[in-house]
Amino acid sequence: MQDLAVALESITRVHGVRGAMVVSVSDGLVVAESLMEDIDGAPIAALTASLATRLRRTTEAAGRRQPTFLHLRADTGTVLAVPSSGDLLVVAIGEQDVNVGLARLEMLHLAERGI
Amino acid sequence: MRALEPWVEAPLATFLAESSARLTLLMTSAGQVVAQHGFTRAFDVMSAAALGAAIMASTDELARLMEVPAFHALSHQGAHYGLFLSGFDTPRGRWIGLVVFGPESSLGLVQLFFQRMVADLVTVAPGPEPTGQVLGEDFEDELNASLRTLFGQ
Amino acid sequence: MSLVNFTAREITCKIVYYGPGRSGKTSNLQYIYSRVPEGRRGRMVSLATKGDRTLFFDFLPLELGTISGFATRFQLYTVPGQVYYNATRKLVLQGADGVVFVADSQARRFDDNLESLQNLQENLLGHGVDIRDLPIVYQYNKQDLPSDLILSPGELDDALNFRGVKSYGADCLSGNGVFETLRGISELVLKRLAAGSPVA
Ligand SMILES: Nc1nc2c(ncn2[C@@H]2O[C@H](COP(=O)(O)OP(=O)(O)OP(=O)(O)O)[C@@H](O)[C@H]2O)c(=O)[nH]1
Ligand SMILES: [Mg+2]
Repeated sequence: MQDLAVALESITRVHGVRGAMVVSVSDGLVVAESLMEDIDGAPIAALTASLATRLRRTTEAAGRRQPTFLHLRADTGTVLAVPSSGDLLVVAIGEQDVNVGLARLEMLHLAERGI
Repeated sequence: MRALEPWVEAPLATFLAESSARLTLLMTSAGQVVAQHGFTRAFDVMSAAALGAAIMASTDELARLMEVPAFHALSHQGAHYGLFLSGFDTPRGRWIGLVVFGPESSLGLVQLFFQRMVADLVTVAPGPEPTGQVLGEDFEDELNASLRTLFGQ
Repeated sequence: MSLVNFTAREITCKIVYYGPGRSGKTSNLQYIYSRVPEGRRGRMVSLATKGDRTLFFDFLPLELGTISGFATRFQLYTVPGQVYYNATRKLVLQGADGVVFVADSQARRFDDNLESLQNLQENLLGHGVDIRDLPIVYQYNKQDLPSDLILSPGELDDALNFRGVKSYGADCLSGNGVFETLRGISELVLKRLAAGSPVA
C-alpha cells in the first residue's frame, strides 16, 4: 500500500494533475488514492469504473479488444484512465492544461508495473 | 417498482436508473416493507424484508456489544451478485435499504447512488403520519370471515 | 407498530410467538402453514440449527383478506426460546403489534414459563414498551400429554395469568387451539387499530 501511494505520487507530480487513484473495476471502489483535498474520490471511482466497463464492451464488440487509454475532456479539466492487467484501473483528474502525454506515460508505467 | 407512499417513488426511481440494481427493498427497522423493485411475489418481499431487517439488527447489536460505532452499511459479494444493506434515518423513523446488484453495476455505484437517494428521501419526506382511527367498529365480522377462509373452517 | 397505508389501503401487523425453549412456538407456525391455502401464505422462513431449535426466528406471512376496506396482512414471527439466545429474542420483538405467549404445560417446565414471561417483560421494556399496553394472549401448549405430567389451563391461569388476559389450551401436534389462539391475538391487535391507537 505504501508502495502504491509512492507510485501515485509520480502521477500527481505531473503538471496539471490534481489527483490520482487506483480503482477496482468490478466493485467501483477506491483501492488507493492521492487527491487534492477538494476532490471526493468515491463517486469518481464508481463512475469511472462503470464507464471503463462499458467502453471495454464497446471496443470488444468492434473487435478491437480492450481500451488502453481513456481521455475525457470536460469544460474545466480532464479525467484520464488506464486499465491495468486484472481488475484495476489507474485514474487521474487534471486541470485543463494538464500535461496529458506525461500523465499518460506515468499512468501506463504504473499499470504495466502490475499493481 | 412499487412504493407504499408516493413521495418515495421519485428518489427510488432515480436510484434504480443510475445504479442498475436488480432488486431493491426499502423497509422499516422492524422489517415492514416500504417500497420494492424487482420482486415478483409479494410474499417473497416480506420474507426478504424480515431477513434484511434481522441482519441489520444483529449488526447494530454486534457493534453495541463490541462498543464500536454502528456500521453504516454492509455488503456481501457472491460469485455473480452482490448484496448491499444499509440503515438510515428519515423523518418517518429508521429505514433500511437492501439492494441486490449484478455485474452491470458495482458496489461503488450502488453506494454512491444509495447515498444520494437517502439525501433525496430525507429532503422530500413529509413529517410523521397523523394518527387516527383505522378500522371500522364492525371489523370483527370481517375478521372472523377471513380467518374462516384462512383455515377452511 | 402496525404499518398502515391509507393510500394503498393496506395494513401490516407483526405478531410474535414468545415462550421458553421447546414450548411449541415453531410448531404453531408449522401447523398454520400446513392448514392455510397456498394463495394466502408465503414461504415459511426458518433460521434454525440442525437440531430444529430456532436460532434467530421463524417467519410466516399471511394474507388475511380485506377488513374494513384494508388489505390486511399478518407477519408471524417466533423467537428462539433457549435462554442464551436473548439478544436475538429481543431483536425479533422489536416493533411487535401483539404477542402470543406459548407456555409449556408440563409441570416440570413450570419455572421456565415464569422465567420466560419475566424475560418478555424485560425485553419489551428495553424497547420502551410496557407489557400492559401490548395486545397479548397466552397459549398453554402440549395439553395432549398425559394429565399427570401437565397442569390444566385453569391451574396455569392461576399461576401465570396475573393480568387475566385471554388464554387457550392447545396441542400443536393435532392443531387444537392453534387457530383459536391466532384468532384471539388477531382480534386484540385489530381492535387496537379500530380504537384509533397510534400507527406508524
Ligand atoms: N406432545 C406435544 N409435543 C409438542 C407440542 N407442540 C410441540 N411439541 C414438540 O415439542 C418440541 C419442540 O417444539 P418446537 O415447536 O420446535 O418448540 P419451540 O418453542 O419452537 O422451541 P425453540 O425453537 O427452541 O424455542 C418438538 O419436538 C415438537 O414436536 C404439543 O402440543 N404436544
Ligand atoms: Mg422454535
